[in-house]
Amino acid sequence: MSMAAALGGLATLSTASGDSFETPTPAIFYLPIIGEGDWAITEQMFWGGVSVLLLSLVMVRLSAKAAVVPTKGQWMMEGFYNFARNGIARDMIGSKDFLRFVPLLFTLFALILLNNLFGILPPVMNPTTGRIGFPIAFTVVVYVVYHWVGISRKGLGGYLAGLVPPGLPGWIKGPIWVLEFITFFITRPLTLALRLFGNMFAGHMLIVLFVSAGAYFLTQGIVFQLLSVPTFIMAAAMVLFEGLVQFLQAYVFTLLAASYIAGAVADDH
Amino acid sequence: MHITAASSLAALPMASGEEKLPLIPHIPELIFGFVMLGILYAVVAKKVVPNLERAYEERRAAIEGGMEQAEQAQTEAREALEKYTAQLAEARAEANEIRETAREQGAQIVTEMRAQAQAEATRITEAAKRQVEAERQQAVVQLRTEVGTLSTALASKIVGESLEDEVRQKGIVDRFLTELESGDVRPEKVTTTGQDS
Amino acid sequence: MFGNLSLVGYGLATIGPAIAVGLIFAAYISGVARQPEARPLLQPIAILGFALAEALAIFGLVLYFVPIR
Repeated sequence: MSMAAALGGLATLSTASGDSFETPTPAIFYLPIIGEGDWAITEQMFWGGVSVLLLSLVMVRLSAKAAVVPTKGQWMMEGFYNFARNGIARDMIGSKDFLRFVPLLFTLFALILLNNLFGILPPVMNPTTGRIGFPIAFTVVVYVVYHWVGISRKGLGGYLAGLVPPGLPGWIKGPIWVLEFITFFITRPLTLALRLFGNMFAGHMLIVLFVSAGAYFLTQGIVFQLLSVPTFIMAAAMVLFEGLVQFLQAYVFTLLAASYIAGAVADDH
Repeated sequence: MHITAASSLAALPMASGEEKLPLIPHIPELIFGFVMLGILYAVVAKKVVPNLERAYEERRAAIEGGMEQAEQAQTEAREALEKYTAQLAEARAEANEIRETAREQGAQIVTEMRAQAQAEATRITEAAKRQVEAERQQAVVQLRTEVGTLSTALASKIVGESLEDEVRQKGIVDRFLTELESGDVRPEKVTTTGQDS
Repeated sequence: MFGNLSLVGYGLATIGPAIAVGLIFAAYISGVARQPEARPLLQPIAILGFALAEALAIFGLVLYFVPIR
């Protein structure tokens, strides 16, 4: 059955040689193309580079001749840019000093969105952000930026003292400060990175699971071959759902980054 | 191979890069993540955002410029209207004033003219009166002479005696006239004028 | 097929965040239905709350992967 073989090749993990089905493990994300071991260049790095190149070329091209009366390309570019600029940065940070952070937030949004969407885009079919190295890198940048903004605005002492919301009775300030400190310095970056990673990782695992299961079913008896139809339908539905989640996660990441920056920029807590 | 996740994961960190725990970052990817973000940030911050913001600024300026222009035109129109209204009111006030003045002057002129006419009339009346008086005097004098001559002639004719002598004649006439004036001849006039002369 | 207890634990751990996310969006939807003009105000708050509730599920995922001997 050549079709089954072809489909079997689709699923990266489906060995389809034995009689037993092997569930996809996290190892499916490790795809070295050059070198081995700790310093291997992975496929995700290649696609990440491609995403940067693609985004740079397209965005520079579409915005190079930005005019008062936009062309169609510029209009689309503006819609995309306004989503990050007005919908995220201005709404969260406030119209006073949001413009300073627009480049960072827009960069984050565009980069994460495209790298997420690689999970459902046919030539790639693997979300770059499903490797935790990338979300950690993005999160470290956001972490440094919002702490740096807060400290440069209020001073180190003022920033640390400002962690406690005003108007609390004295005896509760201590515990609240500890909680807020943990939130600001540990929970926030941890959840920011892990949320993006977890969603992409789990989504890709789900798609791979359904596709490889469907491919495995095709190699089995007629009953299983019939069963593979709903499995593939489920896989397609998961792809659509992942598209939604990938957009949402890019939005949430940028929104949370903006809200952390807003908390650091705001004069009171 | 069938291994439970827990046992495989426990063994993972020891294994080569191939079977790492997914929560442990692959170092080249971590570094490359910074590089990706850095490059794209540089491109966005240097090219994309300034270009778009410039377009926004120009658009805002164009719209606001138009609005400002319209506002300015409106303000100018309002100012002009106010100015015209003010001028109109002023002109109306001026016209009123002029009319008032004219009326006053007219009244004054009428009064003056009336006074003048009155004076003229008085003067004419005076002159006429004086003339009449003068004429009367003249007539009286003339009459006196003529009556004297006539009465003398008559009397000489009646008396038949020539009263050529001037002095006598004059004396007789004068006496007669005096008598006449004193009312001895006309007794009905005695009551009023009898004692005057 | 084999699994382990971590997987069951993670499945149980997602119940709480799932309910929380449901409640958050229920409140958001009823808020917008009652006052549609408040939508731009409520949307980031709802997404933020969703993200915070989801963080708990993410912790569960992390704990699933943490090797326990």
